Amino acid sequence: MAIVRTEKLSKVYNPDTVPVHALRDVSIEINEGEFTAVRGPSGSGKTTLLNMIGGLDKPTSGNVFINGQEISKMKDSKRIDFRLQNIGFVFQHYNLIPVFTARENVSFIMLLQKRNKKEIQQRADELLEQVGLGERKDARPVQLSGGQQQRVAVARALASEPKFILADEPTANLDTESAMNLLDIMEKMNHEQNVTFVFSTHDQRVIDRARRVITMVDGAIHKDEIQHTDEKQDA
Amino acid sequence: MMYLKLAWRNIWRNRRRTIITVSSVAFAVVLSLILESMSLGSHEHMIDVTAQFHTGYLQIQDPLFEDEPFLDNTFYYDEALRNTILNADPSIDYIAPRIETFLLAAGDLQARGALVMGIDLEMEHNLNRLKDRLTEGRFFEPGEEAAVLGAGLARRLYVEVGDTLAMLGQGRFGMSASGLFKVAGLMNHPLREMDNQIVYLSLPTAQWLLSAEDYVTTILVTPDEIRNTDPVSESLRDALGSELRVLTWPELMPELLQGIEFDKIQMYIMMGILYVVIGFGLFGTILTMTLERMKEFGLLLSVGMQRFQLSGVIFMETLIISLMGVLSGSVLGFPILLMVLSQPGRTKW
Repeated sequence: MAIVRTEKLSKVYNPDTVPVHALRDVSIEINEGEFTAVRGPSGSGKTTLLNMIGGLDKPTSGNVFINGQEISKMKDSKRIDFRLQNIGFVFQHYNLIPVFTARENVSFIMLLQKRNKKEIQQRADELLEQVGLGERKDARPVQLSGGQQQRVAVARALASEPKFILADEPTANLDTESAMNLLDIMEKMNHEQNVTFVFSTHDQRVIDRARRVITMVDGAIHKDEIQHTDEKQDA
Repeated sequence: MMYLKLAWRNIWRNRRRTIITVSSVAFAVVLSLILESMSLGSHEHMIDVTAQFHTGYLQIQDPLFEDEPFLDNTFYYDEALRNTILNADPSIDYIAPRIETFLLAAGDLQARGALVMGIDLEMEHNLNRLKDRLTEGRFFEPGEEAAVLGAGLARRLYVEVGDTLAMLGQGRFGMSASGLFKVAGLMNHPLREMDNQIVYLSLPTAQWLLSAEDYVTTILVTPDEIRNTDPVSESLRDALGSELRVLTWPELMPELLQGIEFDKIQMYIMMGILYVVIGFGLFGTILTMTLERMKEFGLLLSVGMQRFQLSGVIFMETLIISLMGVLSGSVLGFPILLMVLSQPGRTKW
């Protein structure tokens, strides 16, 4: 069964004044272990689609199923809890809590999941090791470079052991080296731990490394193609 | 713990703003501490002075005296009554008998109405340290035909120590009361109104002048502590029966208490305004603290923090800022109050 399935998903902003059709009847499926990029020009609906899949926004019509559960009809607090347990997020901006250190940022999400303290500490350290920030655990976000911040965000997204990770333009503010480094880490997690990633981007460097590329134009899926056919191919 | 850490660090993101807000809360606390204790202190002082020099904490009267405070409504005071009163309750510290009336007092140049009070000097002194109030001359011996005047009255009558004071009026049951008294001393009465009209005589002298030997108008009773006023009044009522009436200080000075109430209301309105102003300041800080973090809140909600948890953190931030203000205000205000308290002469006006 697909982890993510959308059925005729539509979103109209300002339906009463100047209707903007951000999504038009989008139906997609994303399976476990995918490494999928959603591309398209600005205003094509990438972010809107990700917000719908992530339960951050409600569709005007259509359904979103995560692991078979319809999330767009859930109540607010239940949806928040569902996100906490099932979805990891990496955003373009404002990813980290500025007053928390890297380790606290990673720990915080597990604290929200009410895990025990020892496990939280251990897992936070492990994850920061994995993203190559073992030495900078106690640094605050302002003391980290953009790339390092995004790696903390990935570690945080993974901390809750989500079904999949949504990343909205994760490399948009990064130089090439940092972007490649971040992608290396994401790819490694995808390969080794079978973590499912869905990210929006218009960065060609990122698109080149995705295995499945969904191209959106004017709120609809224009193309859905598989680029690489390596041993992990499953899309 | 993590929430507390989050709240604490958020507070210090804008150090200067937080310090200003905490200071304004602290300022309000210090100000209200000082205002409140000053008014409390001065009100207590007003009650004490009035009770000690004028009405007493408890007063024993003839039942008719309150409606008709004339010498006709005096009562017999002897050793037996004195013992009955003193033995009525172990909380009674002192008693002081008085005979009071209004007479015309005249010097060589001027005549004025005067409040004549016959007192047992030693007993009165126990009640209100009367002897310490003497500014000139000396007090009288019991039975001596000498008077001590309030300085204000002496000034108005143009009399000095050593002069002769003539007094004229009505004694008990319509007897005429007249006599000449030497001005033995002048005193400074703490209640200005009484300073302008008081003439102290010794109790037997006054009783003789007013043809009321062994009669008094009131007996003032002082309990060991003010809060024992009510139990003592109960005991006195039991001991004295219906022959005599026992009044307590709230009954004796209703105008003063009303004035104090009014004063308090004024102070509370002032403090209310202060709190509202400071409250808006605090609200402004919290509001900007919140508004400038909307995107961060969005992140927190996205990754799975519930709204009530987020509100909890913001509430904690508000609480911590307020508590810091209250605490530092108290720490600042306390020494100021101690300083005021230790000022010598606080109890003298």
